[in-house]
Order: sequence, then structure tokens, then C-alpha cells
Amino acid sequence: MLVDDLKSIVGPEGWTTDPGDLQPHLTEWRDIWTGKTLVMVSPASTREVASIVRECHKAGTGVVPQGGNTGLCGGAIPDQSGNQVLLSLSRMNAVRSVSPNDHSLVVDAGCTLASIQEAAQQVDRFFPLSLAAEGSCQIGGNLSTNAGGINVLRYGTARAQALGLEVVLPDGTIWDGLRSLRKDTSGYDLKQLFIGAEGTLGVITAACLRLYPSVKGLQTALVSVDSPDGAVALLADLRHRMSDQLQAFELIPDRAIRYVLRHFPSARFPLEPTSPWYVLMESINSDGNEQLEHQLLACLDAGLISDAIVAKNKGEADALWGIRHAISEAQKKEGASLKHDISVPVGTIGDFIRAADVAVTRHLPGVRVVAFGHVGDGNVHYNLSQPAGTDPASFLAQGEALASLVYEVVAGLGGSISAEHGIGQAKRAHLLQYRSATEIHLMRTIKAALDPENIMNPGKVI
Amino acid sequence: MDKILVGLKRVVDYNVRVRVKSDGSGVETDGVKMSINPFDEIALEEALRIKERGDANEVIVVSIGNNDAQQQLRTGLAMGADRAILVETANHVDSLTGARVFKALIDRENPDLVILGKQAIDDDNSQTGQMLAALWNRPQATFASNLSIVGQKATVTREVDVGLEIVEVDLPAVITVDLRMNEPRYVKLPDIMKAKKKPLDQVLLGDLNIEEATGIKQVVFEPPSERQKGAMVDDVAGLVAALKDKGLI
Ligand SMILES: Cc1cc2nc3c(=O)[nH]c(=O)nc-3n(C[C@H](O)[C@H](O)[C@H](O)COP(=O)(O)OP(=O)(O)OC[C@H]3O[C@@H](n4cnc5c(N)ncnc54)[C@H](O)[C@@H]3O)c2cc1C
Repeated sequence: MLVDDLKSIVGPEGWTTDPGDLQPHLTEWRDIWTGKTLVMVSPASTREVASIVRECHKAGTGVVPQGGNTGLCGGAIPDQSGNQVLLSLSRMNAVRSVSPNDHSLVVDAGCTLASIQEAAQQVDRFFPLSLAAEGSCQIGGNLSTNAGGINVLRYGTARAQALGLEVVLPDGTIWDGLRSLRKDTSGYDLKQLFIGAEGTLGVITAACLRLYPSVKGLQTALVSVDSPDGAVALLADLRHRMSDQLQAFELIPDRAIRYVLRHFPSARFPLEPTSPWYVLMESINSDGNEQLEHQLLACLDAGLISDAIVAKNKGEADALWGIRHAISEAQKKEGASLKHDISVPVGTIGDFIRAADVAVTRHLPGVRVVAFGHVGDGNVHYNLSQPAGTDPASFLAQGEALASLVYEVVAGLGGSISAEHGIGQAKRAHLLQYRSATEIHLMRTIKAALDPENIMNPGKVI
Repeated sequence: MDKILVGLKRVVDYNVRVRVKSDGSGVETDGVKMSINPFDEIALEEALRIKERGDANEVIVVSIGNNDAQQQLRTGLAMGADRAILVETANHVDSLTGARVFKALIDRENPDLVILGKQAIDDDNSQTGQMLAALWNRPQATFASNLSIVGQKATVTREVDVGLEIVEVDLPAVITVDLRMNEPRYVKLPDIMKAKKKPLDQVLLGDLNIEEATGIKQVVFEPPSERQKGAMVDDVAGLVAALKDKGLI
């Protein structure tokens, strides 16, 4: 009944129950979560989304929104019951309007992040949200996970890019909040509720996003540092020296470099591979006078860095970013991995890595730590690869124990167990553990108020 | 051999999308990332490798253009060139003028080898090396993907339409290089520091006593017309129908 109704809403192009077609939508990127579904519907308009949600609401059936399915916490994967409806936003991929002088654009939720960057570039503007999955992930997914990525240091997370949203609420009502206002203090800022909600409060169908002037001239450099503390000190130093012109500052351990070089034979690493840590950074060079180069020379003199290269053209800069973006793939090829996307106060990153290394190594000798990430945001991807040559399954079985050890260190430093990937189904128990009773109560109150029947992405987050 | 002369042209970065100025007077370079012409960077890399093998004493990089080209010369010095010459002019430099400038510098420096890119990615002319060889009355080996030097002879592998051609030329000679010749090195920060102390001579093009070519005038710049979106057809019948529909058959 419901399935037939849904099929007639979206038409023959807009649904599938074919196991082959469904397979990539029912498996998470690292094959960790799998699910089943009644049907996958791919609506072509906000109205169709609203009709679908309304029907599901009537039937009391759960709806799982899915964007590019690049999320890392299983949030976009339905449960095993086979009774949930998977709602893919992929067919809603139009750029609705671009307003260069308002520095904003309005896009459907299913636009890939890369296509939005491209649309901004077309009118000589810049959309700063950028992450390794940008070719596949969708803006609806980015907003729903409040994604971060590499430019948070200067521009903030996905939340900071959202000026307005269009959302289909859990009863099928359409809320049109597509305002491009920079200032609006008329009541509660409702859009914020849906950002980072991972589809548990409604379906984001469109967004009005902030654009920036296109950046004229970027300089990209790769430097060697002796420790994460050294990287933190370097960041503080450079931010001051350069009046905050840095827009990315990524810590990379030598192990990650070795993995990339091993699994991507065409990758070239331009520094002596002898340093324990590296930083890849990018700064704005609008006046063309090579600030970064000059300041790094001063840092070299001051002993803050031991070696450095500055990309002399964009091809080299892209190649350096290619190494950074290949880390996740390379780690995947090293065997099973466990990911911990955590944040701590920036100044304590070194303390965190040291303490966590001790804890996980004591628990599982031979575990291979790959801790990389966005230093300026206090965000470390504290990822663990299985000990070489051991059984992946027995390693993954240690996941809970290892996560608890890592999160204990995080909690001790006043950090967060999820910096930018969200909670999904992966971290629900941990959320309960590490957020106060008051916070959990508030979250449950909001969920119950907006979605009393628990239609939207049941079993996720809270 | 003693000296190798290498040309480094300042061009819009290979990875930047080129925009035509709205008044059609040229290509937008304001605030646009400028780099060494990629073929020239390969030419310099090859010269440096020759020197590092002990087959040459000095590598001199040359750029013709406005003062901003100092930046590309400094990069060349940081890569390892020994000194630089900037031939300053505010005018557009076409291939023949460029070749005449190099000839004038050859008369001053007496290099054993001149290595240039096979073409610059801005004008895409692929002429300067050939013209220079003619003016200099010395052999040329263009589109080189491999180069070895023994005594006063260079053996050069050329990328030609039908495959690879291996030629031997007597030095001094002009060689222009292709993409596959090598992969240029990254520049390390301490080398940028050292490069600041290396000599960079500036000469005015007007002082070289050459005639600036006037045969080519740039009239107007226009972006190419936008490509139409492709469409998929199911079978031959569909293709024929689509072509008929467009009135093409
Ligand atoms: C290689 C790689 C690198 C990554 N790097 C980063 C990084 O640097 N920074 C970072 O923050 N993240 C990173 N991620 C993870 C990141 O969370 C996702 O890439 C992205 O934000 C999710 O977008 P998506 O469209 O794939 O969403 P999905 O995975 O499809 O969904 C994610 C969640 O959002 C919900 N959702 C999706 N679309 C909607 C919608 N329209 N309305 C309501 N709910 C919706 C889903 O139900 C799910 O709960 C990376 C992932 C990969 C694979």
C-alpha cells in the first residue's frame, strides 16, 4: 500500500527495489554498516519529498534521508528491519539561483559539494566548504552533519555557510526558510535545529548559502615539524605574523605519508621523509608578495620548522593536497581501521595524542595510530589501523574498548567525541555517556516536539 | 661545456581557467596566479640535471617581460640556476622578437646550449626555438623527450607524430623540450633563501639593439564559443534520426 503510494508520487524514474541498484545505498563507505529497505525513492522536487514524508507519517513508517552516502557514522543507512523507506536526494541537484552581489546562492539539497564550488567559481565567487569526499557528498548531507573539512580555520563549518533552509518537516509540511539575510533576530533561529541533526528532525530540501569573494592567489606549503605541539605553536605564530591569512593547516603524521606512497605509486613526496610530522598549509596571497614564504623563512630561522617547500604552481599545490586527500583511501588499503573524529581545545592536541597513544598501545600492542587533521580546529582524526598481519575481525571486535579509551582522554580534556562526522548509529551510546543529563534531556525534548511519531531517521543520534 | 641558457616565460598558471577581459583587449591577469611556462620549467630542470652530472658549469635563466617576471626568475634561481637575466619590456613579445632577444644574449654570453620549452602555453606558437636556431645558424632539436650529451654532441630523442626520432646535433645548439622529458623538482625553502643572493641582471629590451618585430598585431580577444552538451542515443537508428533532426544529413 504505502510502497505503491510512494511509487506513484515519484513516478517510474524515481524509485527502485532492485537489490543491485540498492546495494551501494545500503552499505556505508567502509562497509561497516549495512541495512535493508522497503523501497528507495528519489524524488525530483520538494513537493514530492513532502508527499513522501506525509505518506510515511500517515503509515508510521520511518524515513531515512540519504545524500551522497559518504557519511562515516552510518547515519544514512536504514536499519535491518527492512521496514524503513530510504529517501535519496540525488535527483534534486539543481542550482536554483546565484546572486553574486548578494554573495549567496540557492541550491537543491542534492547538489554535490563540488558542483556548488563550481557554480560559485562560474561567477567569480568562492564557496569555502571543502573536504575529500566533495565529488560525491551533497550539501544536504554536509549541512545535516555540519561538516567541517579543510577551510574551517578561516570560514567556519557548514553551519556558518547556511543563510537559510527549506525543510520538509516530519508531518510533510514544507518550511520555506530560504532567506539570504545576514542579520535576522526575529525569534528562534530555526534553521540551526536542522543543521547537524543528521536527518532526525526533517529533510533539508534546499539551502541558501553564503559566498565569498574569490581568493586571488593562494600559497601552499608543506613543512616538517617535530611534534603536534610544534604544529600548534607554529599555527599560533603564523596566524599572528600573517594577520590571520591562513586558510588551512593540516597535521599529517609520517605513517600516513608512508601509507599514501605505498598505495598510490604515482604520488610524489617532496620533503625528506625523515620527519615524524608534517603540516600542509595554505594562505591567502592576495597582494602577490609571497607572505607565506617570507614568514616560513622566519620560522625556519626560529627553529619552529625543520624543512619546507612552497608550491611554485597550482599543479604542485594540487599534488600536495592530493596526498592529504588520499590518506583515508590509503588507510583503507592497510586493512581494517577504526576512526575517532574528536576535538579538543587546540592547545591540548599534543597532550591528547600522547595520552591516547599510550592508552591504545597498552590495550592493543602493535596497533597503528594515524592521527591527522585540522589543527586549527582542534580536530584530530585519531584513526587506528589493525596491527599488521592480524585478523581484521578480531581487531574490529576491539572497537568499543578502544573507542572508550580514546573518548576518556577526550573527555578529560573537555573535548567532543564527534567533531565533524556526527553521531549517526555509530556513537549513540557514547553521546549518552559524554553529554550531560541536561543536554540529553533538551535534545530529546526537541526531537519529541518536532517529530513525536519518530518518523525521521529513527534510531540515529538520540 | 660551460654555459646553458634557459628561457622562462611568465604565463597564467596551467591550472587556472583563463578568462578574456570584458573589453576584449587581452586575457585577464589581474590577481591571477602566474607561473613559469610548464615547458620552460622542464627545460630548466633538464639544464640543472646536466649541470649536476658535471656536464656544464653554469645555468643562466632568462625572461623577457615586465618587472613581475622577476618572480619567475627567482623561482628558477631557487630551483638551482646560477644567475638570471630579465629583459624588460612592456610590449607584447612575439616569437620573432623573443628569438632576436635570445640571439642578442647569445652574442654576449656564448652558451654551448640553449634549452627552451617547445611552446609557451599562452600564445601556443611553438616558434621561438626554431627561429632562434635559424638566426644563430646552429642546429636545432625540437620536442625533445630525452637528451644526453657527450663531448660536443647532443643525442636527442624527439617526440614526432609517427613515434620517436633520435637525432644527433653538434653543439652549440637549440633544444626545445616536451612534457615527458622530466618532472621538475619542488623548491625547498632554504633554496628560496639562497636564491635571493644570486645575481639577477636587468636589461632594457631597447638597449639590446634589436629590431622589435611588428608583423603581428593583436586585434581582439574572444572566448571560444561554448560547447553544446552531448546527448546519448540508443542505437544507430537513433543516431541517424538525431542527425536528420538537426539537419546535418
Ligand atoms: C574520504 C572522506 C573524507 C571525509 N572528510 C570529511 C571532512 O574532512 N570533514 C567532514 O566534516 N566530513 C568528512 N567526511 C564525512 C562527511 O560527513 C560527509 O562527507 C558529508 O558531510 C556527508 O554528506 P553526504 O551527502 O554523503 O551525506 P550522507 O552520508 O548521505 O548522510 C549523512 C547524514 O545526513 C543525513 N542526510 C543526508 N542528506 C540529508 C538531507 N537532505 N536532509 C536531511 N538529512 C540528510 C543522513 O540521513 C545521514 O544521517 C568524509 C568522508 C569521506 C568518505
